[in-house]
Amino acid sequence: MFDLRVPSGLFFLLLGLVLVAFGAVAGDAHAPLSTVNVNLYTGAFMILFGVTLLWLSKRKPS
Amino acid sequence: MTLHFVDYVILALYFAFVLGIGWFLKKRVSTSEDFLTSKHSMPLWITSLAFLAANMGALEMIGMAGSGAKYGMMTSHFYWIGAIPAMIFVGVFMMPFYYGSRARSVPEYLKLRFDEKTRGFNAITFAVMTIFTSGISMYALGILFQALFGWSFEASVLTSAAIVLAYTYLGGLASAIYNEVLQFFLIVIGFAPLAILAVSKADGWSGMRERLDPVFTEAWRHMGSASANPMGVEVFGLVMGLAFVLSFGYWCTNYLVVQRAMAARTMTDARNTPLVGAFPKMLIPFIVIVPGIAALALMKMGSGYQIPPKGGSYDYDMVLITLMQQFYPSGMLGVGITALMASFMSGMAGNVTAFNTVWTYDIYQSYIRKDAPDSHYLWMGRMATIFGTALSIGAAYLARSFNNMMDFLQLIFGFVNAPLFATFLLGMFWKRTTANGAFVGLLSGTFAAAVTHGVTVAEGKGGWLSPMHQFPSGMAQNFWVAIWAWTACFVVTILVSLTGKPRPAEELRGLVYGLTALPADEHEPWYRRPSQLAILVGIGAVILNILFW
Repeated sequence: MFDLRVPSGLFFLLLGLVLVAFGAVAGDAHAPLSTVNVNLYTGAFMILFGVTLLWLSKRKPS
Repeated sequence: MTLHFVDYVILALYFAFVLGIGWFLKKRVSTSEDFLTSKHSMPLWITSLAFLAANMGALEMIGMAGSGAKYGMMTSHFYWIGAIPAMIFVGVFMMPFYYGSRARSVPEYLKLRFDEKTRGFNAITFAVMTIFTSGISMYALGILFQALFGWSFEASVLTSAAIVLAYTYLGGLASAIYNEVLQFFLIVIGFAPLAILAVSKADGWSGMRERLDPVFTEAWRHMGSASANPMGVEVFGLVMGLAFVLSFGYWCTNYLVVQRAMAARTMTDARNTPLVGAFPKMLIPFIVIVPGIAALALMKMGSGYQIPPKGGSYDYDMVLITLMQQFYPSGMLGVGITALMASFMSGMAGNVTAFNTVWTYDIYQSYIRKDAPDSHYLWMGRMATIFGTALSIGAAYLARSFNNMMDFLQLIFGFVNAPLFATFLLGMFWKRTTANGAFVGLLSGTFAAAVTHGVTVAEGKGGWLSPMHQFPSGMAQNFWVAIWAWTACFVVTILVSLTGKPRPAEELRGLVYGLTALPADEHEPWYRRPSQLAILVGIGAVILNILFW
């Protein structure tokens, strides 16, 4: 049975890792009107979200 | 505005996952119903998020942010009264007839309840409409990306269409639905940080309230008369036109959204689909409308942000994208653009999967080839996916060359759609309604819509018969056209039905209220009971309306 939580969990985990890594090395790369390192924070959130989805898929059937 | 390597990596990662999901689902498809309706196989959380995402096309997202800047918090009426009540109604009252009847689609319900002519009219107009809707959004995406990144119109139109085609061809409706859920998550995670950054830059909601005219931060206080608010709409036109006729017409009768609910595993899940979807739906204004209002405040405070000018006014369609440009660095910019791409794809896949089902079952199987083996209809469903996409691409090019023609087509679709809800309402809840009544009523409603548009003028549009009334805005005209269309359809359907002979009650079992055993849900826990969820959703919507009164 296909469980969407697995691919979407993986997707957000990978996307989060890319963003966190990029936010860490290019922390000074910010947008014209904002100094917030939004890559780092959103990336961290995505990792959390991705891991939660993967964890849920292990815990109980959808 | 330039994208960097990391942004393209993110876009590529997204493409890989949507295609992968389609590829994985390929082996689940063995009959035409697997492919076209996914045969009651989807869990509730999936159907309810897909129900939302199919409606969150790129044009809607861009348009809502633009309306936030143009009309302010009043734009939330499109959600809190212009969607939630209709979502409650379709879940609690109408879904038993869609899911409980043998109908595989909304036009097929019309065939079972009325007769062939009403189904044919609905199926054909719906099929044409889905093609043009996805063509128009493809065109809009093409010119947007061309203007922003210099991507060629051909490349972005053809690539995005090819990806949607690939995953809907492989996995059918199931693939479209699963991807819509992934797209929904991405849209929220891609847009929400923008809302937070833009609003905090504008010193929060209280800072925005201080800087802006109250009309932009209050949803209801200025609705007393049309001249008091930038929408140019008064409360009756809003409630009757938008919240009742247009909203119920869309959420309760449009097969594009109803199809998602009909894919649910059980009757209770199908009924709960719009109700569970209504919870996130209520919060969408905070990630698309509020940033638009923040854009206006940022401009007022001289932060350096500027909505691009257009003519004597502003190019409101650029609000969302210029906010991203100003607040997202490389990386998040890639996520934002990917989210926009995702919203485009969920909208387009919604249209394509609704088109191929209506084409295969309601047009091809009904009028062209009736008694073929199922494998033939599976093949036809796949073919319809291909030529549906091809026709959408054609429509996108048509839109590029003849922009006025597209406006004209949208106007015509508006006339056809406006009265539809009256037909369904009477069909489902009044067993006396006859097939001829429904058909004549529907045509009268469409005719009334055209006439109303012909005798009224707003923003230089309409009045092609003889201008007798001036509306303060195009939106007001739109709402009143809908009101007259609905009323004409409602009255004429009743009058014609009363002169005819009603169908015997035996034949209407499962199709009409009063002749259908309503699904029992007493054994379910409270959070799975449609009536309880409906009350919760209703309370939520009331609270939001009061908070932003």
